[in-house]
Amino acid sequence: MKSFALLIFCWLTALAAADAPSVAETAYARGDFAGAVELWSGEIRAEGVTAGRLAALGNAEWRLGRKGRAMICWERALLIDPRDPVANAGIKHGLDAGGVDRPKPTAVEEYAMFLTADLWLLLAVAAFWVTVLCVAVPRLRGRPASEANQWTRVVALTVLALCFPGLWGSRSLDARAVIRKPEVSLRLTPTQFGEPLRGVAEGDVVRTERPLNGHMRVHTADGKTGWVRAGEIEAVRGPGLPADLDQKAAP
Amino acid sequence: MRRLLSCCVLLCLGLLARAEDRVHWEITPRVTAPGQPFRLQIMVESDIVLGGAQFISREIKPPRGMALRLSGQVIRAGSNEATFNFSGVAPEQVGEHVIPSFNLRFARKVVVVPEIRLQVSDKVSFRREAQARAELVLPDRVFYVGELIRGAIRMRGGENEAVVASYGLESLAEGFSMAVSAERQPLPDELGQGLQTTFDLTPIREGAGEFSLNGIMLVQSGEAGAFNQSGRDRPFAFRRRLMVAHVPERGRPAEWNGAIGRFVAEGLQLSKDKPEVGEPVRLRAILTGEGNLDRILPPEIRSDETWDVLPATERRRHAEDQRMFVYTLVPRLPGKLRTPAVRLATFDPATKTFSRLEFAPLEVTVTGNAPAQVDLVTADPSAPVAAAQPKPVTGLATPEPRRAAPLFRGSPTASLGEATGFWSANAAALGLVIMATTLAGVLGYLAAHPEIRRRRRARALMRAALAEAEACRRRSDARGFAVAVVRGLQSGVAARLDAEEQAMTQSDIVRVLPDADRPRLDILFTLAHSDRFARPGAPPDAATADADLALLRRLLTLP
Repeated sequence: MKSFALLIFCWLTALAAADAPSVAETAYARGDFAGAVELWSGEIRAEGVTAGRLAALGNAEWRLGRKGRAMICWERALLIDPRDPVANAGIKHGLDAGGVDRPKPTAVEEYAMFLTADLWLLLAVAAFWVTVLCVAVPRLRGRPASEANQWTRVVALTVLALCFPGLWGSRSLDARAVIRKPEVSLRLTPTQFGEPLRGVAEGDVVRTERPLNGHMRVHTADGKTGWVRAGEIEAVRGPGLPADLDQKAAP
Repeated sequence: MRRLLSCCVLLCLGLLARAEDRVHWEITPRVTAPGQPFRLQIMVESDIVLGGAQFISREIKPPRGMALRLSGQVIRAGSNEATFNFSGVAPEQVGEHVIPSFNLRFARKVVVVPEIRLQVSDKVSFRREAQARAELVLPDRVFYVGELIRGAIRMRGGENEAVVASYGLESLAEGFSMAVSAERQPLPDELGQGLQTTFDLTPIREGAGEFSLNGIMLVQSGEAGAFNQSGRDRPFAFRRRLMVAHVPERGRPAEWNGAIGRFVAEGLQLSKDKPEVGEPVRLRAILTGEGNLDRILPPEIRSDETWDVLPATERRRHAEDQRMFVYTLVPRLPGKLRTPAVRLATFDPATKTFSRLEFAPLEVTVTGNAPAQVDLVTADPSAPVAAAQPKPVTGLATPEPRRAAPLFRGSPTASLGEATGFWSANAAALGLVIMATTLAGVLGYLAAHPEIRRRRRARALMRAALAEAEACRRRSDARGFAVAVVRGLQSGVAARLDAEEQAMTQSDIVRVLPDADRPRLDILFTLAHSDRFARPGAPPDAATADADLALLRRLLTLP
């Protein structure tokens, strides 16, 4: 009985330790956002990227006023987990109260956001292979396909067909970038002296088209099209942590 | 005694003295007309065995206007004589022409050939049109630095001679760069039979320069026939002094970019007729004509309020004698615009005048809106200021860094589709499945049709029986021959009738091969199975054995 009570105590202690806030969370809670950024960045570098860590990092960056970095973190968190509540809340906050713009997702993109790009691809590949095996196995065994086999084929083909819009939408979601510099002009032409059309704010999400002459042609959330310098934006699909754009290149 | 001594001295002198080299030359004909072909033969006799001479073409310096090339040298093994044949064409100037003395360099000594004199007289009757001749086609004027001069050597056949080939073209052009553009092309019909080699000359510096060209053409006599195909070579040599000047500065337009020649502005091409504001389009200006297309610097187009101009790479089409200037234009304003003017100044060396070329601009409809215009249209100053829409109160959620959904894991760096080996592994697996399915299908077909395997086995047995029967025949083993043939026939027939081989009789064989000789089969079977019977069959003769083997072969070839 004594040993059982000891076991229960150890288990509860472990549970309590697991639920205890981490140092980064404590730093965030007491308003040390710079410390929280440093700690979460260190965690991501050491233990890998998760949607939760990226979303938390985005919150801390937002609190520090670095909208571009925050939006990158949240967008990347949504690439890993499209239903991450922290990232979704952060983007909603940025759009409603933070003054950032984000292109409204199309119907295909809304559909694609149900799963991640990798899951859509895995599902499509699995459905394809189930279909192939349903056709191949009866031939290899030299027997006619059973009714269950026929039903499996129909289901797999249906899943495959349903995956195509998801794959297309994921591709479209990948072709986005976040404005990273505070004062960026959307230019009419991709030249150094290209006429500025309008300003785009740091943290705005834009759809990217194609590069030319060190510039990228982008569509803004309000339908404007123009060119921004390639160094002023950061693609949503990228390494876990936001790029340090102020860092000078090695000589 | 005194006489004997003088005789000895004379003998010693005769032995010690070296015989002098004797050189003779002969020109045929002795007196030539201007431009008439001639042959020169030089014969050398020496006191030693001569062998072949070297560097003759380098040593001999024919006078100006005379073409002279070595045709060949006649050398006999172990002989102290050598003969050299030259082909030549007399100069156009009447008078005596001297080929200066030169050396013939043999392996063991150098023989000096004295001056050779050629008489050219206009009193000699010679029809130039009867002989094959070469002409240099080159404009007779002052050339300009950077200009492209197209020249040609026309090797025209005559009434009695035809030009069939040419070779050995050598050129010396001081202050020019030269490139042969086409060799040994047939002459245009109006110029008659012959060949022509065209070349491009580009003067690279100012001043006077010597341009010389020489080569050899192979001519054949006019009497064409199967037995008259002897060709002979005939050299040609041209030497021309060319004057080169810079393009005059007087009247030279500021936009002249080095174009010398006659050009035509073919037109402009646009990659897209209806671009959007800010969307780059490619503009191609096509220039054609005769002149130094390669050396023209692309005309500059400056950006203005309607177009932004970016540098672009251009491509040159060599085959079509045209030059393409390429620009990337970005429209700044919407509406109907005209492409920027592409202007070019050219210099015509024939008329020595400058002229201007302009590509006709294209009309482009640019869609989209200019931001300034949009603002002007949409911002109505008289309209009441719209009250700012109250934004819903939102906030950041509490961070949950340890939240992990089992389904949603991964990295935002790159999608699975971009992973190395993903698609190749799937393709490899698909290939394996297709291979396995195909293999299973083939095996299933063979299992459903066992006669395929049975007939294949029977064919192998029949081939073995055939080989054994031929071997038995060679060693005159009549019974072995019969056994092999009967075994082969039984195997083949059994596969056809789906029966056991041993059970096959003569009747079964006749069922499969209706025209088989039944009595002969009886003899074969009797002979083959003679161990079971008291009386062995008669051994077959050669013709009968051939017929037996033919029967077996026929069974083997049945489908």
